Amino acid sequence: MSEDGRAAGDPARPGLLDPTDLARLASLDLRARTIVEGAFSGMHRNLHPGTSVEFTEHREYAPGDEIRRIDWKAVGRADRYYVKRFEDETEMHTFLVLDASASMGYRRRGVSKLDYAGYLASALAYLVGQQGDAAGLLLFDEKARSFLPPSTRPGQIREVFRLLEAAQPAGRTDAALALGHLGELIDKRSLIIVMSDLLDSEPDDPSDEVRGPLPGRLRQLRARGHDVALFHLLDPDEVELPFDDLIFFEGMEPGDTRTLLAQAPDLAQAFKRESQAFRDRWRTACLEASVEYRFTRTDAAPTDVLRAFLADRQRAVRL
Amino acid sequence: MHFLAPSLLLGLLAAALPWLVHLIGKRRAQPLRFAAMQLLLRSERRISARRRLREILLLVARTGVAAALPLIFARPFAERTTDLPVASLDPQSAVIVLDDSASMSRSAGLSTMFERARDRARALLRQFPSDVDLALLQASAGSSPKISELSPERARVLEALESTVCSARPADFASALRSASLILAGSTHAKRRIYLFTDLQAAGWEAGTGLPAEGAPEVIINDVSGAARWENRAVLEVSVVPAPEVGTGGIAVDAELADFSASGRRALGMALKVDGISVAKGFVDLAPGGRSHKRFLHRLTGETGGAHDVEVEIDGDAFRLDDHRLAHVELARSMSVLIVNGDPRSARNEDEPFFFAAALRNGLPGAAVTIKLPDDVSPESLDNTTLVALLNLAQPSQAMASALARFVSAGGGLFISVGDRVDATAWNERMAKLLPQPLGLPRTASALPGQHAGEIVDDRPAERLAPIDRSHPLLANFPERGEGLVSARFFKYMLLDPAVESPERSVILRYESGAPALVEKQVGKGRVMLLSTTVDREWTDLPIRTGFLPLVREAARRLVGVTGDEESASLRAGEARTLVFAGDEQRLEVSQPDGSVWVARREQASLAHSVLYSETDRLGTYHVRAVGSDGRITARPEQDFVVNLDTRESNPARLDPSQRPDRIAVASPGVKPPKHRVELWHSLAAVMIVLLLCESVLTLRRRRI
Repeated sequence: MSEDGRAAGDPARPGLLDPTDLARLASLDLRARTIVEGAFSGMHRNLHPGTSVEFTEHREYAPGDEIRRIDWKAVGRADRYYVKRFEDETEMHTFLVLDASASMGYRRRGVSKLDYAGYLASALAYLVGQQGDAAGLLLFDEKARSFLPPSTRPGQIREVFRLLEAAQPAGRTDAALALGHLGELIDKRSLIIVMSDLLDSEPDDPSDEVRGPLPGRLRQLRARGHDVALFHLLDPDEVELPFDDLIFFEGMEPGDTRTLLAQAPDLAQAFKRESQAFRDRWRTACLEASVEYRFTRTDAAPTDVLRAFLADRQRAVRL
Repeated sequence: MHFLAPSLLLGLLAAALPWLVHLIGKRRAQPLRFAAMQLLLRSERRISARRRLREILLLVARTGVAAALPLIFARPFAERTTDLPVASLDPQSAVIVLDDSASMSRSAGLSTMFERARDRARALLRQFPSDVDLALLQASAGSSPKISELSPERARVLEALESTVCSARPADFASALRSASLILAGSTHAKRRIYLFTDLQAAGWEAGTGLPAEGAPEVIINDVSGAARWENRAVLEVSVVPAPEVGTGGIAVDAELADFSASGRRALGMALKVDGISVAKGFVDLAPGGRSHKRFLHRLTGETGGAHDVEVEIDGDAFRLDDHRLAHVELARSMSVLIVNGDPRSARNEDEPFFFAAALRNGLPGAAVTIKLPDDVSPESLDNTTLVALLNLAQPSQAMASALARFVSAGGGLFISVGDRVDATAWNERMAKLLPQPLGLPRTASALPGQHAGEIVDDRPAERLAPIDRSHPLLANFPERGEGLVSARFFKYMLLDPAVESPERSVILRYESGAPALVEKQVGKGRVMLLSTTVDREWTDLPIRTGFLPLVREAARRLVGVTGDEESASLRAGEARTLVFAGDEQRLEVSQPDGSVWVARREQASLAHSVLYSETDRLGTYHVRAVGSDGRITARPEQDFVVNLDTRESNPARLDPSQRPDRIAVASPGVKPPKHRVELWHSLAAVMIVLLLCESVLTLRRRRI
């Protein structure tokens, strides 16, 4: 992934599909598998590389598990491959928190931000399920729309896929409210992955008293020991404003009556600067809250995004 | 505004095109539901002011271009009423006479009359068809003509016109029109015209029109004043006379003021300035068209002498040149004169020093004059004395002779005049070292029997002075023929015995017979001057001649080592000044009021060792200095002079219509003034090009937002 969130597709690696190609695949299940397989060819796929030394149980080896974690004594006894699981790895919950507000439905070319978030979320859920961990899902707009508690039960991942496929962009955005609600529901240390365009919410907006500032919620989650990653999804149009004509812009979310008639080329440079400043503000806010910030354009290959995400996490653990 | 092809104005409808395109473009805007409205609106806020301004300017530029094209093709023009003569459109020979006299420098709105005249002359020049021969003259007296031969090169005439400046000289229309007539006499064109641009002030027409009685060219006068009357107040005269009653260096400055208006002026402010610093102020009432005098008393400072510019100034009006007037005075070095009266009389006018002392007091303000009898004079009397005059003294005592020898050697001045009482033998014996020439026998031109000293005997036979030699510094300021001196009659004088020729001795004045009349001799640091006749009317009538006062004054100055006039020559602008080379001076330089320097070399001098300086165009003080053969520069304050305005220029009276040389200028009432067509398409094309450039720049900048 490059700094500006663009796709950095590797033509030498087969299986790297861009979002438009992925959209042609029949089901989310298949898309998730494709992303994961593409991302983890030759790479360890564990989302929760444990650091605890307190052994808790064995788990059957699955492709992608680290070889050094195979319990060779157990192999000798049972003639099957088992890996050791430690305190941190057991019962590790992963919450996928997706913004499903109307603004996430913006699409001019390629896929919408909600679709893109679905691809990433499904791939992550699939990966979590593969590792036998519990994955949960929260879809929100101005309130929590769908909540699926984390579970390792069979069919959990399928339920996640179903909810993601059924999600339609609607309503206004209130990420802070949704995260506040989530914070009340979970009591175990979890990995919380938030995907939103963050539009209409400023990291440093003190006037936002009703919904509460989102960085504040993120800091609260971090304070409770949760590991939080924020995927800031933006359509390329929301980064560059690449229009050539006179455009009558209208707000997307319900009740948003803002309009603007403008020669888009006149605004392009100023808009680029404004968008960059907006992302920088969020990057700084996340850094201050110890939240992993990942800006992602929806024309980036999800495989690359996921791969970069996991690689960074593993690198962070080694450090 | 009028148009040659008004039907083409229909094209102006094209000016609506940019607006239509703008409106249609707005209507076909694509709607787009956009999520990042907040970022978009913030960007818009940031650039909206610039963008809107640019859009408006762009729209205006495009509309202007669309409108300018049909306007240009419609050939617009304006008709302007002008007072430029229609006659100028004919093929002809023309002499433009520009009145650059002093009165033209008066302000008229934001410009001056002269600038207005020059503008009109310029417009006329541009209006002339190409086949016109032109010349350009100025109307001020003594000015050098700008272009004195007919020339078809209009650019050259225009250039000469632009270089013309208003002078301070008076006008002399007779000379100017005469010169113009002479120039036109050689013209090949049938039509010969003189275009005179003037304010039609009566001053300058005193000598008539100067036009020949027959075959005179047509004169067309352009009255740049618009026949408007103007009011003026002027300082007509400033004179400086000594005012010993004020103290040493005291002067009285007399100013004559005049009003040239129908209303007069009460409490007109005036000021006396010395060397540019206001030293006294006052007020004066001026009756309508009246005159008034004002006297300022002032004490010039500077115990050791020095030149001063004295200026009287009144509250300013439109014509500033005559609101002040200058006098240049030089304060003599503090001079203490001891006069020894060798022949005292009871009647004052018969007393020996009567005329001599009067000449000193009037000629040298500030000079302290003491008169003593011979018995009252002691050697100590010479202390603090700069000049001793021994008038008809019988014989100086031995002690006095010695004291005088020391006095002169130390730098003092000694003036000796003779008379009946003089004992030549005793003088030659005791004063041999000091006398420029030994005294001889008295010579009577032809004394009639029964004459008595002191009588007025105008019919006595007498001798006169030989023509004066102005190359001597003492005589440099006297008129060339020595008027005031050579008319003096000498009934009796003392012959002087021959003396050895020496560079220290020189004869300043001689009688017709060749006998020395005034001789000087350098002794040590001082100088002795011997007059071989009396300074009263006993032997001569010189004391009652006009040349006596300047002769005594200059003699006293020379003896004391002071040069310069109390009030130097005052010229009127345009008048010439004769400058005299003295001694071995090789170059004379005149430092003019504007700082420039005029130089004359000895080779240019006439037989009388003089040159004529005529560049007195500017009002102010002119300083003269001389450069000797050894390259040493010496100031010549006695030749300094001031240039003031010719007061005729102050009078705003207009020339009587009956005296005007033009016959067609008096327009009949009801006749519409001529109109001139001014093409406008050039200007419109220029505007269109500018608009196109603006449009291009704005479009480029729009892409860079």
